[in-house]
Amino acid sequence: MISILNYGMGNIRSVENALNYLGVEYKLIDTPEEILESEKLIIPGVGSFRKAMENMKKKKFIEPLNEVAMKKKIPILGICLGMQLMAEESQEDGLTKGLGWIKVTIKKIPAEKTDIKVPHVGFNEVIFEEKNKKLYEELEDKADFYYAHSYMLGYDDCDCVSGWTEYGEKLVGSIEKDNIYGTQFHPEKSQSNGLIMLKNFMDL
Amino acid sequence: MLKSRLIFALLMKNGSYQLSRNFNLQDVGDLNWIKKHYNFDAIAFSIDELIVVNVERGNKNVDLFCEKLMELNKNCFMPIAAGGGIRSMDDAYKILNSGADKIIVNTPLISQQNLVRSLVETFGSQCVIASIDYKKTNNEHVEVLIDNGSKSIELSLDEAVENAHELGCGEIYLTSIEQDGTGYGYDLKILEHIVNISKMPVIASGGAGKYKHFVEGVQKAGASAVSTANLFNFIADGLIEVRKTMIDRGLEMATWNLNFRKINFVKNY
Repeated sequence: MISILNYGMGNIRSVENALNYLGVEYKLIDTPEEILESEKLIIPGVGSFRKAMENMKKKKFIEPLNEVAMKKKIPILGICLGMQLMAEESQEDGLTKGLGWIKVTIKKIPAEKTDIKVPHVGFNEVIFEEKNKKLYEELEDKADFYYAHSYMLGYDDCDCVSGWTEYGEKLVGSIEKDNIYGTQFHPEKSQSNGLIMLKNFMDL
Repeated sequence: MLKSRLIFALLMKNGSYQLSRNFNLQDVGDLNWIKKHYNFDAIAFSIDELIVVNVERGNKNVDLFCEKLMELNKNCFMPIAAGGGIRSMDDAYKILNSGADKIIVNTPLISQQNLVRSLVETFGSQCVIASIDYKKTNNEHVEVLIDNGSKSIELSLDEAVENAHELGCGEIYLTSIEQDGTGYGYDLKILEHIVNISKMPVIASGGAGKYKHFVEGVQKAGASAVSTANLFNFIADGLIEVRKTMIDRGLEMATWNLNFRKINFVKNY
Protein backbone atom coordinates (compact mmCIF):
# COMPACT_ATOMS: atom_id res chain seq x y z
CA MET A 1 0.00 0.00 0.00
CA ILE A 2 1.05 3.57 -0.61
CA SER A 3 1.89 5.77 2.34
CA ILE A 4 1.67 9.54 2.67
CA LEU A 5 4.16 10.91 5.16
CA ASN A 6 2.76 13.39 7.66
CA TYR A 7 5.56 15.36 9.28
CA GLY A 8 3.59 18.44 10.20
CA MET A 9 4.28 20.45 7.06
CA GLY A 10 1.37 21.25 4.99
CA ASN A 11 -1.51 20.36 2.86
CA ILE A 12 -1.82 16.63 2.97
CA ARG A 13 -5.52 16.82 2.28
CA SER A 14 -5.04 17.83 -1.33
CA VAL A 15 -2.82 14.80 -1.93
CA GLU A 16 -5.46 12.66 -0.24
CA ASN A 17 -8.19 14.18 -2.42
CA ALA A 18 -6.24 13.30 -5.55
CA LEU A 19 -5.59 9.71 -4.45
CA ASN A 20 -9.24 9.31 -3.48
CA TYR A 21 -10.25 10.50 -6.93
CA LEU A 22 -7.88 7.99 -8.53
CA GLY A 23 -9.36 5.26 -6.38
CA VAL A 24 -6.02 4.54 -4.71
CA GLU A 25 -5.88 3.04 -1.26
CA TYR A 26 -3.40 4.84 0.94
CA LYS A 27 -2.36 5.27 4.50
CA LEU A 28 -1.41 8.48 6.28
CA ILE A 29 1.65 7.68 8.36
CA ASP A 30 3.48 9.52 11.11
CA THR A 31 5.78 7.05 12.85
CA PRO A 32 9.26 5.67 12.00
CA GLU A 33 7.89 2.10 12.04
CA GLU A 34 5.26 2.94 9.45
CA ILE A 35 7.94 4.41 7.18
CA LEU A 36 9.80 1.09 7.30
CA GLU A 37 6.61 -0.81 6.43
CA SER A 38 5.83 1.39 3.39
CA GLU A 39 5.88 -0.11 -0.08
CA LYS A 40 5.64 3.23 -1.82
CA LEU A 41 5.87 6.67 -0.28
CA ILE A 42 4.74 10.21 -1.01
CA ILE A 43 6.46 13.06 0.86
CA PRO A 44 4.31 16.18 0.41
CA GLY A 45 4.96 19.48 2.10
CA VAL A 46 5.01 23.22 1.87
CA GLY A 47 6.85 25.72 3.99
CA SER A 48 10.19 26.19 5.59
CA PHE A 49 13.01 23.75 4.79
CA ARG A 50 14.63 24.25 8.18
CA LYS A 51 11.42 23.63 10.10
CA ALA A 52 10.69 20.55 7.98
CA MET A 53 14.11 19.05 8.75
CA GLU A 54 13.67 19.88 12.44
CA ASN A 55 10.34 18.04 12.42
CA MET A 56 11.91 15.08 10.62
CA LYS A 57 14.64 14.87 13.26
CA LYS A 58 12.25 15.27 16.17
CA LYS A 59 10.05 12.50 14.87
CA LYS A 60 13.11 10.27 14.18
CA PHE A 61 12.18 9.93 10.53
CA ILE A 62 15.61 10.39 8.97
CA GLU A 63 17.08 6.94 9.52
CA PRO A 64 14.02 4.99 8.40
CA LEU A 65 13.71 7.30 5.37
CA ASN A 66 17.32 6.59 4.41
CA GLU A 67 16.67 2.91 4.88
CA VAL A 68 13.65 2.74 2.54
CA ALA A 69 15.16 5.15 0.01
CA MET A 70 18.69 3.78 -0.23
CA LYS A 71 18.53 0.12 0.86
CA LYS A 72 15.00 -1.11 0.23
CA LYS A 73 14.71 1.21 -2.73
CA ILE A 74 10.96 1.65 -2.65
CA PRO A 75 9.55 4.26 -5.06
CA ILE A 76 9.40 7.63 -3.31
CA LEU A 77 7.78 10.80 -4.64
CA GLY A 78 8.63 14.12 -3.03
CA ILE A 79 6.34 17.01 -3.86
CA CYS A 80 7.57 20.62 -3.69
CA LEU A 81 9.26 20.96 -0.29
CA GLY A 82 9.14 17.15 -0.15
CA MET A 83 11.47 17.05 -3.15
CA GLN A 84 13.72 19.83 -1.87
CA LEU A 85 14.31 17.89 1.35
CA MET A 86 15.97 15.17 -0.77
CA ALA A 87 18.79 17.60 -1.57
CA GLU A 88 22.08 17.85 0.32
CA GLU A 89 21.33 21.27 1.68
CA SER A 90 19.29 24.43 1.27
CA GLN A 91 20.25 28.07 1.46
CA GLU A 92 16.84 28.94 2.93
CA ASP A 93 17.23 30.60 6.40
CA GLY A 94 20.96 30.06 6.41
CA LEU A 95 22.38 26.72 5.36
CA THR A 96 20.33 23.67 6.43
CA LYS A 97 21.26 20.06 5.72
CA GLY A 98 18.73 17.92 3.89
CA LEU A 99 18.38 14.16 3.39
CA GLY A 100 21.18 14.17 0.84
CA TRP A 101 19.70 11.70 -1.66
CA ILE A 102 20.49 13.98 -4.57
CA LYS A 103 23.62 16.05 -4.97
CA VAL A 104 22.38 19.60 -5.20
CA THR A 105 21.99 22.74 -3.11
CA ILE A 106 18.61 24.46 -3.00
CA LYS A 107 18.92 28.18 -3.72
CA LYS A 108 16.64 31.18 -4.03
CA ILE A 109 15.13 31.96 -7.42
CA PRO A 110 17.41 34.76 -8.61
CA ALA A 111 15.16 37.71 -9.42
CA GLU A 112 17.87 40.36 -9.57
CA LYS A 113 19.22 39.64 -13.04
CA THR A 114 15.89 39.24 -14.76
CA ASP A 115 12.58 40.94 -14.61
CA ILE A 116 10.65 38.13 -12.92
CA LYS A 117 8.47 38.14 -9.86
CA VAL A 118 9.18 35.91 -6.88
CA PRO A 119 7.60 33.63 -5.76
CA HIS A 120 7.11 31.76 -9.02
CA VAL A 121 3.36 31.18 -8.88
CA GLY A 122 1.08 29.68 -11.48
CA PHE A 123 0.97 27.14 -14.26
CA ASN A 124 4.12 26.87 -16.29
CA GLU A 125 5.27 24.58 -19.08
CA VAL A 126 7.45 21.63 -18.20
CA ILE A 127 9.89 20.46 -20.85
CA PHE A 128 10.66 16.76 -20.53
CA GLU A 129 14.17 15.37 -20.68
CA GLU A 130 14.73 12.56 -23.15
CA LYS A 131 15.76 10.13 -20.44
CA ASN A 132 14.05 9.76 -17.09
CA LYS A 133 10.48 10.47 -17.93
CA LYS A 134 8.49 7.63 -16.44
CA LEU A 135 6.17 10.02 -14.65
CA TYR A 136 5.29 11.85 -17.87
CA GLU A 137 3.76 8.93 -19.73
CA GLU A 138 0.55 9.85 -21.60
CA LEU A 139 1.43 13.54 -21.23
CA GLU A 140 2.57 15.80 -24.03
CA ASP A 141 5.86 17.67 -23.80
CA LYS A 142 5.37 21.19 -22.41
CA ALA A 143 2.46 20.12 -20.25
CA ASP A 144 1.36 22.79 -17.76
CA PHE A 145 1.92 22.21 -14.07
CA TYR A 146 1.23 24.42 -11.07
CA TYR A 147 4.19 25.96 -9.26
CA ALA A 148 4.32 28.00 -6.06
CA HIS A 149 7.86 28.43 -4.72
CA SER A 150 10.66 30.88 -3.95
CA TYR A 151 13.51 28.35 -3.72
CA MET A 152 14.62 26.02 -6.47
CA LEU A 153 17.03 23.45 -7.83
CA GLY A 154 19.13 24.99 -10.60
CA TYR A 155 19.05 23.00 -13.83
CA ASP A 156 22.83 23.02 -14.28
CA ASP A 157 23.44 21.98 -10.66
CA CYS A 158 21.42 18.78 -10.86
CA ASP A 159 22.30 15.53 -12.62
CA CYS A 160 18.91 13.78 -12.40
CA VAL A 161 16.53 16.24 -14.04
CA SER A 162 13.47 14.72 -15.70
CA GLY A 163 11.67 17.96 -16.53
CA TRP A 164 12.51 21.65 -16.42
CA THR A 165 10.87 25.03 -16.73
CA GLU A 166 12.06 28.40 -17.92
CA TYR A 167 11.55 31.14 -15.34
CA GLY A 168 14.27 33.74 -15.57
CA GLU A 169 16.59 30.79 -15.99
CA LYS A 170 16.15 27.03 -16.31
CA LEU A 171 14.86 25.59 -13.06
CA VAL A 172 14.23 21.97 -12.19
CA GLY A 173 10.58 20.91 -12.50
CA SER A 174 11.10 17.28 -11.64
CA ILE A 175 13.80 14.73 -10.86
CA GLU A 176 14.16 11.01 -11.31
CA LYS A 177 17.01 8.96 -9.90
CA ASP A 178 16.52 5.21 -9.61
CA ASN A 179 13.63 4.84 -7.16
CA ILE A 180 13.63 8.52 -6.16
CA TYR A 181 11.20 10.91 -7.82
CA GLY A 182 10.41 14.50 -7.08
CA THR A 183 8.45 17.42 -8.45
CA GLN A 184 8.92 21.09 -7.69
CA PHE A 185 5.40 21.71 -9.00
CA HIS A 186 2.25 20.36 -7.38
CA PRO A 187 0.75 17.47 -9.38
CA GLU A 188 -2.17 17.31 -6.95
CA LYS A 189 -2.99 20.89 -7.94
CA SER A 190 -2.30 20.63 -11.67
CA GLN A 191 -5.72 19.56 -12.89
CA SER A 192 -5.78 16.57 -15.27
CA ASN A 193 -2.04 16.75 -16.03
CA GLY A 194 -1.21 16.23 -12.39
CA LEU A 195 -3.69 13.43 -11.88
CA ILE A 196 -2.18 11.58 -14.84
CA MET A 197 1.28 12.04 -13.35
CA LEU A 198 0.15 10.71 -9.96
CA LYS A 199 -1.44 7.76 -11.72
CA ASN A 200 1.93 7.09 -13.41
CA PHE A 201 3.61 7.03 -10.02
CA MET A 202 0.97 4.59 -8.74
CA ASP A 203 1.63 2.36 -11.74
CA LEU A 204 5.40 2.12 -11.16
CA MET B 1 6.53 30.36 -20.01
CA LEU B 2 4.50 31.29 -16.96
CA LYS B 3 0.81 31.36 -17.85
CA SER B 4 -1.74 34.00 -16.89
CA ARG B 5 -4.24 32.85 -14.32
CA LEU B 6 -8.01 33.09 -14.26
CA ILE B 7 -9.33 32.95 -10.71
CA PHE B 8 -12.85 32.45 -9.42
CA ALA B 9 -13.38 33.94 -5.97
CA LEU B 10 -16.15 32.76 -3.68
CA LEU B 11 -17.24 34.96 -0.81
CA MET B 12 -18.77 33.19 2.13
CA LYS B 13 -20.73 34.33 5.15
CA ASN B 14 -22.10 31.88 7.72
CA GLY B 15 -21.75 29.07 5.19
CA SER B 16 -23.66 30.89 2.49
CA TYR B 17 -22.22 32.36 -0.72
CA GLN B 18 -22.41 36.10 -1.21
CA LEU B 19 -22.60 38.68 -3.92
CA SER B 20 -20.66 41.81 -3.06
CA ARG B 21 -21.09 45.30 -4.46
CA ASN B 22 -18.77 47.97 -3.08
CA PHE B 23 -18.38 45.52 -0.18
CA ASN B 24 -22.12 45.45 0.58
CA LEU B 25 -23.21 41.84 0.74
CA GLN B 26 -26.20 40.01 -0.62
CA ASP B 27 -26.94 36.41 0.27
CA VAL B 28 -27.07 34.14 -2.79
CA GLY B 29 -27.18 30.54 -1.62
CA ASP B 30 -25.24 27.50 -0.47
CA LEU B 31 -23.02 25.12 -2.41
CA ASN B 32 -26.11 23.58 -4.02
CA TRP B 33 -26.92 26.96 -5.52
CA ILE B 34 -23.42 27.15 -7.00
CA LYS B 35 -23.66 23.63 -8.35
CA LYS B 36 -27.08 24.31 -9.85
CA HIS B 37 -26.00 27.46 -11.64
CA TYR B 38 -22.48 26.52 -12.56
CA ASN B 39 -21.45 23.37 -14.31
CA PHE B 40 -18.87 22.84 -11.62
CA ASP B 41 -17.15 19.90 -13.28
CA ALA B 42 -16.73 21.91 -16.46
CA ILE B 43 -15.67 25.19 -14.91
CA ALA B 44 -13.23 23.39 -12.65
CA PHE B 45 -11.12 22.89 -15.77
CA SER B 46 -11.63 26.47 -16.94
CA ILE B 47 -10.17 28.26 -13.99
CA ASP B 48 -6.63 28.09 -12.68
CA GLU B 49 -7.29 28.74 -9.09
CA LEU B 50 -10.00 29.22 -6.53
CA ILE B 51 -10.09 31.91 -3.85
CA VAL B 52 -12.47 31.47 -0.93
CA VAL B 53 -12.93 34.35 1.48
CA ASN B 54 -14.84 34.43 4.74
CA VAL B 55 -16.55 37.83 4.55
CA GLU B 56 -18.51 37.62 7.79
CA ARG B 57 -18.39 40.89 9.66
CA GLY B 58 -17.21 40.98 13.26
CA ASN B 59 -15.85 37.79 14.79
CA LYS B 60 -15.62 35.18 12.07
CA ASN B 61 -16.50 31.55 12.59
CA VAL B 62 -13.34 29.83 11.33
CA ASP B 63 -14.56 26.30 12.10
CA LEU B 64 -17.73 26.63 10.03
CA PHE B 65 -15.70 28.21 7.23
CA CYS B 66 -13.28 25.26 7.28
CA GLU B 67 -16.16 22.81 7.16
CA LYS B 68 -17.52 24.52 4.04
CA LEU B 69 -14.04 24.66 2.55
CA MET B 70 -13.68 20.89 2.81
CA GLU B 71 -17.10 20.41 1.24
CA LEU B 72 -15.95 22.53 -1.69
CA ASN B 73 -12.51 21.11 -2.40
CA LYS B 74 -13.10 17.39 -2.57
CA ASN B 75 -12.89 17.19 -6.35
CA CYS B 76 -10.86 20.32 -6.92
CA PHE B 77 -7.43 19.65 -8.33
CA MET B 78 -6.38 23.24 -8.52
CA PRO B 79 -4.80 25.57 -5.99
CA ILE B 80 -7.11 27.04 -3.40
CA ALA B 81 -6.36 30.21 -1.46
CA ALA B 82 -8.52 30.89 1.55
CA GLY B 83 -8.74 33.46 4.29
CA GLY B 84 -10.74 36.05 6.10
CA GLY B 85 -10.60 36.09 9.88
CA ILE B 86 -7.18 34.48 10.35
CA ARG B 87 -6.08 35.88 13.71
CA SER B 88 -3.76 33.12 14.98
CA MET B 89 -1.39 30.40 13.80
CA ASP B 90 -4.07 27.95 14.84
CA ASP B 91 -6.60 29.53 12.45
CA ALA B 92 -4.06 29.23 9.63
CA TYR B 93 -3.36 25.56 10.41
CA LYS B 94 -7.10 24.84 10.42
CA ILE B 95 -7.57 26.47 7.03
CA LEU B 96 -4.56 24.73 5.48
CA ASN B 97 -5.67 21.41 6.94
CA SER B 98 -9.06 21.95 5.32
CA GLY B 99 -7.50 21.77 1.88
CA ALA B 100 -6.31 25.33 1.25
CA ASP B 101 -2.86 25.70 -0.27
CA LYS B 102 -2.46 29.37 0.46
CA ILE B 103 -3.82 31.69 3.09
CA ILE B 104 -5.06 35.21 2.57
CA VAL B 105 -4.54 37.95 5.14
CA ASN B 106 -5.80 41.51 5.17
CA THR B 107 -6.30 43.14 8.59
CA PRO B 108 -3.30 41.37 10.23
CA LEU B 109 -1.01 43.10 7.69
CA ILE B 110 -1.55 46.17 9.84
CA SER B 111 -2.76 45.00 13.24
CA GLN B 112 -0.89 41.69 13.72
CA GLN B 113 2.35 41.99 11.82
CA ASN B 114 4.11 39.42 13.98
CA LEU B 115 1.45 36.88 13.05
CA VAL B 116 2.08 37.54 9.35
CA ARG B 117 5.83 37.12 9.90
CA SER B 118 5.25 33.79 11.66
CA LEU B 119 2.97 32.61 8.87
CA VAL B 120 5.66 33.40 6.31
CA GLU B 121 8.38 31.80 8.40
CA THR B 122 6.39 28.60 8.90
CA PHE B 123 4.63 28.14 5.57
CA GLY B 124 6.84 30.16 3.23
CA SER B 125 6.20 33.32 1.21
CA GLN B 126 4.43 31.42 -1.55
CA CYS B 127 1.75 30.43 0.96
CA VAL B 128 0.76 33.89 2.17
CA ILE B 129 -1.31 36.26 0.05
CA ALA B 130 -1.69 39.89 1.09
CA SER B 131 -5.18 41.13 0.37
CA ILE B 132 -5.20 44.90 -0.06
CA ASP B 133 -8.49 46.79 -0.42
CA TYR B 134 -8.57 50.40 -1.49
CA LYS B 135 -10.88 53.13 -2.70
CA LYS B 136 -10.53 56.61 -4.05
CA THR B 137 -11.81 59.48 -1.97
CA ASN B 138 -12.01 63.12 -3.02
CA ASN B 139 -9.33 64.59 -5.27
CA GLU B 140 -8.36 61.13 -6.47
CA HIS B 141 -6.75 60.44 -3.13
CA VAL B 142 -6.41 56.68 -2.63
CA GLU B 143 -7.23 55.22 0.74
CA VAL B 144 -6.35 51.71 1.96
CA LEU B 145 -8.89 49.96 4.18
CA ILE B 146 -8.89 46.97 6.52
CA ASP B 147 -11.61 45.15 8.49
CA ASN B 148 -13.77 44.34 5.44
CA GLY B 149 -13.25 47.79 4.04
CA SER B 150 -14.58 49.51 7.14
CA LYS B 151 -11.49 51.17 8.52
CA SER B 152 -8.99 53.30 6.67
CA ILE B 153 -5.31 53.14 7.54
CA GLU B 154 -2.55 55.65 7.40
CA LEU B 155 -0.37 53.88 4.86
CA SER B 156 -0.70 54.91 1.23
CA LEU B 157 -1.42 52.17 -1.30
CA ASP B 158 2.23 52.06 -2.36
CA GLU B 159 3.28 51.83 1.27
CA ALA B 160 0.76 49.05 1.92
CA VAL B 161 2.26 47.04 -0.94
CA GLU B 162 5.77 47.67 0.36
CA ASN B 163 4.61 46.69 3.85
CA ALA B 164 3.27 43.35 2.51
CA HIS B 165 6.59 42.75 0.79
CA GLU B 166 8.61 43.53 3.89
CA LEU B 167 6.46 41.13 5.90
CA GLY B 168 7.36 38.45 3.35
CA CYS B 169 4.01 37.90 1.62
CA GLY B 170 4.14 36.16 -1.75
CA GLU B 171 1.27 37.71 -3.70
CA ILE B 172 -0.91 40.80 -3.71
CA TYR B 173 -4.67 40.34 -4.07
CA LEU B 174 -5.64 43.88 -4.99
CA THR B 175 -9.29 44.87 -4.75
CA SER B 176 -10.83 48.16 -5.79
CA ILE B 177 -13.81 48.64 -3.47
CA GLU B 178 -15.34 51.14 -5.89
CA GLN B 179 -15.22 48.74 -8.82
CA ASP B 180 -16.26 45.72 -6.73
CA GLY B 181 -19.44 44.15 -8.09
CA THR B 182 -20.08 46.88 -10.64
CA GLY B 183 -19.11 45.01 -13.78
CA TYR B 184 -17.46 48.17 -15.13
CA GLY B 185 -14.03 46.57 -15.44
CA TYR B 186 -10.88 46.64 -13.33
CA ASP B 187 -9.34 49.89 -12.14
CA LEU B 188 -6.62 49.52 -14.78
CA LYS B 189 -4.65 52.64 -13.96
CA ILE B 190 -3.99 51.75 -10.36
CA LEU B 191 -3.64 48.07 -11.15
CA GLU B 192 -0.90 48.82 -13.67
CA HIS B 193 0.86 51.09 -11.24
CA ILE B 194 0.87 48.43 -8.52
CA VAL B 195 2.03 45.73 -10.94
CA ASN B 196 4.95 48.00 -11.83
CA ILE B 197 6.05 48.71 -8.28
CA SER B 198 5.38 45.22 -6.85
CA LYS B 199 8.06 42.54 -6.77
CA MET B 200 5.29 40.04 -6.05
CA PRO B 201 2.70 38.72 -8.51
CA VAL B 202 -0.52 40.75 -8.46
CA ILE B 203 -4.06 39.33 -8.63
CA ALA B 204 -6.59 41.83 -10.00
CA SER B 205 -9.95 41.98 -8.27
CA GLY B 206 -13.04 44.15 -8.44
CA GLY B 207 -15.06 45.11 -11.46
CA ALA B 208 -14.83 42.35 -14.07
CA GLY B 209 -18.18 42.22 -15.86
CA LYS B 210 -17.35 41.40 -19.47
CA TYR B 211 -15.01 38.87 -21.06
CA LYS B 212 -12.76 41.64 -22.34
CA HIS B 213 -12.15 42.97 -18.84
CA PHE B 214 -10.09 39.91 -17.98
CA VAL B 215 -8.02 40.37 -21.13
CA GLU B 216 -7.42 44.03 -20.22
CA GLY B 217 -6.29 43.12 -16.71
CA VAL B 218 -3.44 41.08 -18.16
CA GLN B 219 -2.70 42.88 -21.43
CA LYS B 220 -3.10 46.49 -20.37
CA ALA B 221 -2.21 46.37 -16.68
CA GLY B 222 0.14 43.37 -16.60
CA ALA B 223 -1.58 41.49 -13.77
CA SER B 224 -0.33 37.93 -13.14
CA ALA B 225 -3.86 36.81 -12.44
CA VAL B 226 -7.36 38.16 -12.98
CA SER B 227 -10.27 37.29 -10.74
CA THR B 228 -13.99 37.68 -10.40
CA ALA B 229 -16.21 37.14 -7.39
CA ASN B 230 -19.39 37.97 -9.23
CA LEU B 231 -21.76 35.03 -9.00
CA PHE B 232 -24.17 36.43 -11.60
CA ASN B 233 -22.02 37.85 -14.37
CA PHE B 234 -20.48 34.59 -15.50
CA ILE B 235 -23.15 32.11 -14.65
CA ALA B 236 -23.48 28.74 -16.42
CA ASP B 237 -20.60 28.51 -18.93
CA GLY B 238 -19.48 32.12 -18.52
CA LEU B 239 -16.05 31.29 -17.12
CA ILE B 240 -15.42 28.80 -19.92
CA GLU B 241 -16.14 31.62 -22.38
CA VAL B 242 -13.85 33.95 -20.43
CA ARG B 243 -11.00 31.50 -20.79
CA LYS B 244 -11.69 31.04 -24.51
CA THR B 245 -11.69 34.79 -25.01
CA MET B 246 -8.40 35.16 -23.16
CA ILE B 247 -6.81 32.49 -25.36
CA ASP B 248 -8.34 33.99 -28.54
CA ARG B 249 -6.87 37.38 -27.65
CA GLY B 250 -3.42 35.86 -27.50
CA LEU B 251 -2.94 35.37 -23.77
CA GLU B 252 -0.87 32.39 -22.69
CA MET B 253 -3.12 30.16 -20.60
CA ALA B 254 -2.54 26.70 -19.19
CA THR B 255 -4.15 23.83 -21.08
CA TRP B 256 -5.36 20.55 -19.71
CA ASN B 257 -6.68 17.36 -21.17
CA LEU B 258 -10.41 18.00 -21.06
CA ASN B 259 -11.23 14.43 -21.99
CA PHE B 260 -9.43 13.46 -18.86
CA ARG B 261 -12.53 12.14 -17.14
CA LYS B 262 -12.83 9.54 -19.87
CA ILE B 263 -9.40 8.12 -19.07
CA ASN B 264 -9.91 4.81 -17.47
CA PHE B 265 -8.13 4.56 -14.18
CA VAL B 266 -7.26 1.17 -12.90
CA LYS B 267 -9.05 1.11 -9.60
CA ASN B 268 -7.13 -1.60 -7.79
CA TYR B 269 -3.68 -0.52 -6.85
